[in-house]
Amino acid sequence: MSRKRALISDAFNLKKRKNGTEQFGATAAEEGPADIKSSLEYLMTLFPRKLFNDALPQIVLKHQLYSIHSDRTLVDKELNKMRERGDLLMFQLGFDAEAFGLVFTSDYKAKVLVGEEGKTTQTTVERFLEKVVTVCTDLSFTKDKMLKEFLFTDSEITQLVKSGVLTVRDAGSWWLSIPNSGKFTKYFIKGRKAVLNMVKKSKYGEVLKAEIEERRTNSQVKFHMKYHIHDIVGAELVESIPTTSGTLLRFVDS
Amino acid sequence: MLGFLTARRAGLDDPLRLRRAESTRRVLGLQLNPDRDVDRIHGNGINTIDIEAVEGRYMLSGGADGVIVIYDLENFSGKLQYTCKAVCTIGRSSRYVHKFSVETVQWYPYDTGMFVSSSFDKTMKVWDTETLKPAEVFQFEGNVYCHHLSPIARKHSLIAVGTTNPKIQLCDLKSGSRIHILQGHRAEVLSVRWSPRYEHILATASADSKVKVWDVRRASGSLFTLDQHNGDKSKASSEAVNTAHNGRVNGLCFTGDGLYLLTTGTDDRMRLWNSATGENTLVNYGKVCNESRKRLQFTVSRGCSPEFVFVPCGSSVAVYTLHTGELVTMLRGHYNNVDCCEFHPDYQEVYSGGKDCNILAWVPVLRPSGVEEDSDHEVKGAAGQSSVNPAFQDAWSSDED
Repeated sequence: MSRKRALISDAFNLKKRKNGTEQFGATAAEEGPADIKSSLEYLMTLFPRKLFNDALPQIVLKHQLYSIHSDRTLVDKELNKMRERGDLLMFQLGFDAEAFGLVFTSDYKAKVLVGEEGKTTQTTVERFLEKVVTVCTDLSFTKDKMLKEFLFTDSEITQLVKSGVLTVRDAGSWWLSIPNSGKFTKYFIKGRKAVLNMVKKSKYGEVLKAEIEERRTNSQVKFHMKYHIHDIVGAELVESIPTTSGTLLRFVDS
Repeated sequence: MLGFLTARRAGLDDPLRLRRAESTRRVLGLQLNPDRDVDRIHGNGINTIDIEAVEGRYMLSGGADGVIVIYDLENFSGKLQYTCKAVCTIGRSSRYVHKFSVETVQWYPYDTGMFVSSSFDKTMKVWDTETLKPAEVFQFEGNVYCHHLSPIARKHSLIAVGTTNPKIQLCDLKSGSRIHILQGHRAEVLSVRWSPRYEHILATASADSKVKVWDVRRASGSLFTLDQHNGDKSKASSEAVNTAHNGRVNGLCFTGDGLYLLTTGTDDRMRLWNSATGENTLVNYGKVCNESRKRLQFTVSRGCSPEFVFVPCGSSVAVYTLHTGELVTMLRGHYNNVDCCEFHPDYQEVYSGGKDCNILAWVPVLRPSGVEEDSDHEVKGAAGQSSVNPAFQDAWSSDED
């Protein structure tokens, strides 16, 4: 396939940019790092809170950001900065080694404390949130660390697992997790499979993004269509091809 | 472009700057050129190619049928249309040909009088180019996946060999001995590579998901093992500790200056590592499709300003920017899986070989000057006549004088 317009390296790009006249689709992605936060917030709005009766904080997957911003390394760096600052928490969701969930720390703490109202495990969980979550950015904790560094006893660890804040990883280590997120994972996987099937079954295995967003979703898909589309594009389960009629999503057979 | 030239002439710019800018422009303009072809000799897929380091004139290729071919890449014919001719072949009729597929070929780094090839018939042969007979044959117990000679070695002449045996053997060219062994891997060694910066540093990749860096002068074990999580043990499951990839690691490539190491694995990821500390630079290239069960030969450009990585990805070659991880373009042209690709640093060309028995040459497209006139010329002129550059055409003398 011969290119109509050759690739030009930055060194030769001497044209001065005119002020605000040309607005192609590609330029939207070149905005500065501050906009990773706003795309995160935008993706959070796509999360259906009513579905879980407001018990879950809004969860976004890390690779959904890759579908909005083209420079993945920059996205990773920004997310790490936000995690270092303590604004964002990252979780290993369990169904895929590479699927990481992102939740704003304030949201997470609020929901967990609401969920713990009146339970016996409340004090331990509060202590855990205060001491561990604010300080440490790890995704998982080993028994050693919990006992020695954070001074939790065995029974307290059992309480944390019972409340859902920790999930078993293997003997003697635990993942940080979101309580009651099992339902989220179930609906998410079902929805992802259903949307992928919709793309796969289309003629030629491809469909325009604008068209599939308009389609009626069946009972399997509980989330907003856009949420799933960002997910499958970011995880590279479909190829996103720019065409003259908009973005085309083509199923990737692997 | 003219700006660069004037700045260079006036001494405002370093000479290297113009060279780098032009190399980068050429690499970005790589395309399949109908004028450049490589002779089709192989009857089966091509597993490996190597361009000699001294002149960049001769290219070796090894095929799945055991055949080794040497091509002449230079165009002295004066015509635009050029097929890289095969200078000589070690075909199936030769007495010394490898019995099974040739996995790696490499020229001797200092002259083209010698080259080394290793194959699935468990041997590694050191060939004399003049007579096309092996001067030395090294026998191994398992299939040989790869070998590498250090391109800068002055004090040693060791060939590192990776076979199905987890131990890496170092064979000495001068004495023929093979007693030096590097132990540490737990599964077959798929790729070995010497550093282009230090002649004693060797990197090895294995099917046990680990990449180890060795100093061959040390008696005790490897210098370090590359860890994809940079020591952050919390990120993945406990089995994934100290692994470079979540699957077999089948490709290794140092950058031209030897400061960074690239690895590819069957978990569809490519990672960039700082070769001095072993730290994962966390550059995210996205999904780099990789289904190869053997070594994947990929290459990095040299002399460009953002360096580019050329990785075979299915039936095309993907071009990524080295430090940002951005996918620049996909070079499509092969009919089947691409197994190997090699960058020619002097002409900024890429040669790639694959299962469709073709070696394709990706040549930088020059600025089209007066395209309409040239195409008219070529239509009228006889086939094979070169189109004259309009700048050299005689436009002033007339027939009457």
